[in-house]
Amino acid sequence: MKKSYLFLAIALIATLVLGACAQPGTPQEPADEGIVINLWTKEGETDGGLQYVQALADAYTAQNPNVTFVVVNKDVETLREDFQTASLADAPPELLWTVSDHLGPFTAADLIQPVDSLVDLGAYVPSAVDAVKDPSGATWGVPISNGNHLMYLYNKDLQPVPPANTDELIAMGADLIDAGITPLVVNQTEPFFFVPWLGGFETEVFAADGVTPTLDTPEMVAALQFVHDIKFNDGLMPLESDGDVADTMFKEGQAAAIINGDWSLGTYKELFGDSLGVAPIPEVVGGTWPAPYTSGVFFMIPKDLSGPTLDAVVDFMVFATNLENQVEMVEKLTRLPALAAALDDPIITADPILAGSAEQMTYGTPMPTVLEMRCVWDALKPEMQAVFNDTKSATDAAAAAQAAAVACIANQ
Amino acid sequence: MITPQTMLVSLKEVGSTVLYLLAAAALIEVILYLVLVKWLKYKYAFAFMLMAPAIVGLFFLIIYPLLWELRLSFTNMSLRAFRDPDFIGLTNYIKVFTEPVLKQKYFFPLLGQTVVWTVINIFFHVTGGLALAMLLNRNMKGRGIYRTILILPWAIPQVIAVLAWRGEFNYTYGYFNVLLQAIGLQPIQWMTNPTANFAAMCITNIWLGIPFMMVTLLGGLQSINSEYYEAAEMDGASGWQKFKSITYPLLQPVLTPAVLLGTFWTFNNFNVPFFINQNELESSDILVTGLFRAAFQYNRYGFAAAFAFVIFALLLIFTIFYMRYTKTLKGDAQS
Repeated sequence: MKKSYLFLAIALIATLVLGACAQPGTPQEPADEGIVINLWTKEGETDGGLQYVQALADAYTAQNPNVTFVVVNKDVETLREDFQTASLADAPPELLWTVSDHLGPFTAADLIQPVDSLVDLGAYVPSAVDAVKDPSGATWGVPISNGNHLMYLYNKDLQPVPPANTDELIAMGADLIDAGITPLVVNQTEPFFFVPWLGGFETEVFAADGVTPTLDTPEMVAALQFVHDIKFNDGLMPLESDGDVADTMFKEGQAAAIINGDWSLGTYKELFGDSLGVAPIPEVVGGTWPAPYTSGVFFMIPKDLSGPTLDAVVDFMVFATNLENQVEMVEKLTRLPALAAALDDPIITADPILAGSAEQMTYGTPMPTVLEMRCVWDALKPEMQAVFNDTKSATDAAAAAQAAAVACIANQ
Repeated sequence: MITPQTMLVSLKEVGSTVLYLLAAAALIEVILYLVLVKWLKYKYAFAFMLMAPAIVGLFFLIIYPLLWELRLSFTNMSLRAFRDPDFIGLTNYIKVFTEPVLKQKYFFPLLGQTVVWTVINIFFHVTGGLALAMLLNRNMKGRGIYRTILILPWAIPQVIAVLAWRGEFNYTYGYFNVLLQAIGLQPIQWMTNPTANFAAMCITNIWLGIPFMMVTLLGGLQSINSEYYEAAEMDGASGWQKFKSITYPLLQPVLTPAVLLGTFWTFNNFNVPFFINQNELESSDILVTGLFRAAFQYNRYGFAAAFAFVIFALLLIFTIFYMRYTKTLKGDAQS
């Protein structure tokens, strides 16, 4: 009896020791067992982005059978939060497909690695690469698409000509309201959709040093008051609309125009065809052209990824951004490519929608990627919503946003 | 988007984890047997062997994370001090009470919101649950069907139910506003108006919480001896007198733990306030959603850990006082 228990104990210890040599949940080594790459992407199903990412992964696996992908969609903020949490647990995904403003938090927490030595960045559009460079010159992401910017998208069947300025926007809006059409829809919950107006009122969220918030300025108050007035005084926007509601109203023909990003172009083009118009957000009378943030979508790599898995990740990134796939991305998602060589393809130069998108980019401004930008977003969000909800004045909202941003930066 | 290959990989990972856990449990049992039975010949060896896997599991899943969190609460861990945070003593605990825990809201107003949220929900849970339990505690046709339908909210996964309710509170497409407009009333801004959003949270949570209270109180009602009611009937007692003198006192041993549990669950309810409060209105946040935002949206990990322990201390104090005050757990049902 005693000997059998001893034998059982030794056998179990041996099993555990051998089993510990191949821990579950981590990518397997190549050749014999293959590589599994967990790819977290901010692309959703609605605009076909997630399907495109999965197709890319499948195409790569078809050429490299020992590399498989687990593609997981997370919305932008959830992706950031979950990546930070997973990194803390030493279990991050092998690859991220995300936006440039994640650069700030990820580099501050030392969670990602630079890509300068991994790929030939000279092949990409310089402005796309610059969007993910830090002050020391290190590049922290591989560009996938260029832009990620907002623009004025309109249904030509309801609004044949886009407004050139805000006075025309209001005048045209009055006619549309009489016809029972909502003139304009926009995501009223995220400050990303508000910041273009700051450019129109000639202000920015940071001072010249790029890290000191400047949210309590007369120009900020004017911008907040403007969006309040076109909603409540001119009735141009619905009382409530998040991104999904705005998108649905536009697609169903209940709204004549939407301020939305280049990620939506593919779906709208498919739905509206030649009736889809793309124009810059109307110029502010007495100010200038609104300046949406421009950046793009990027691959980012966890800091501790190395060895054969890193090699596979790099190879996939190069594959995903080669000329053939970049042109296909333009066809399927109607986004501006990050690969410089793709810009000369006729599919881009002859497409009026892409031309409109590119025109809006000329008025855009690079999105700040410093860590302090996180505080600006968090500070602006409730105040912007309070103004949209008519529960706070523009003056109070700007002051509160500034105080919150300063306090947040002090706590970082 | 789940391919057969993805499923196989997942099953492989889960299967191997389960195997390691079983092997570890068996190893612990063998070691305990050899030490406690064969060597020490300990009297209660068998009891320890039975409890050992659970104790180990509780240690790694609850005790160790709590200790790690306690240590975290004394550090300045944030994005800038992510991997090597510094020890800062009680600074985080002081900051919980002296600085905003959200962007602008301080601790005590947030606590006040949480108390209001809890009191409103518990009141309607108990009132609604008791009313339905009393209705069901009668001989009538279809009682089983009614009970099944009334328990359905409890059976639905909470997150799914909350997301469905959130859809119905949508300003443009939600059923509530469609109904309101159909009868000529103005639609309500459920997501952006602070009062309406708080009401939406309460409506959702009351719908979710009544079944538990109903089932618990129904069991309590069925345990009351019918002879009491017969005697009261003979003495000419009214319905209200029967309720006040028989039902309510004899229901206390069941009602007290149910209310206590309901209070904890409501006080700590994350799903309903987080998902219904889609626009992150600070007027709709409660302590636990504020805690989540501090940790995962504002990346103040050390501060959030201290915040969590403050919430824990609050609930502990409440529990001690409530149990001493009611004394019902000691069996003194009559006041």
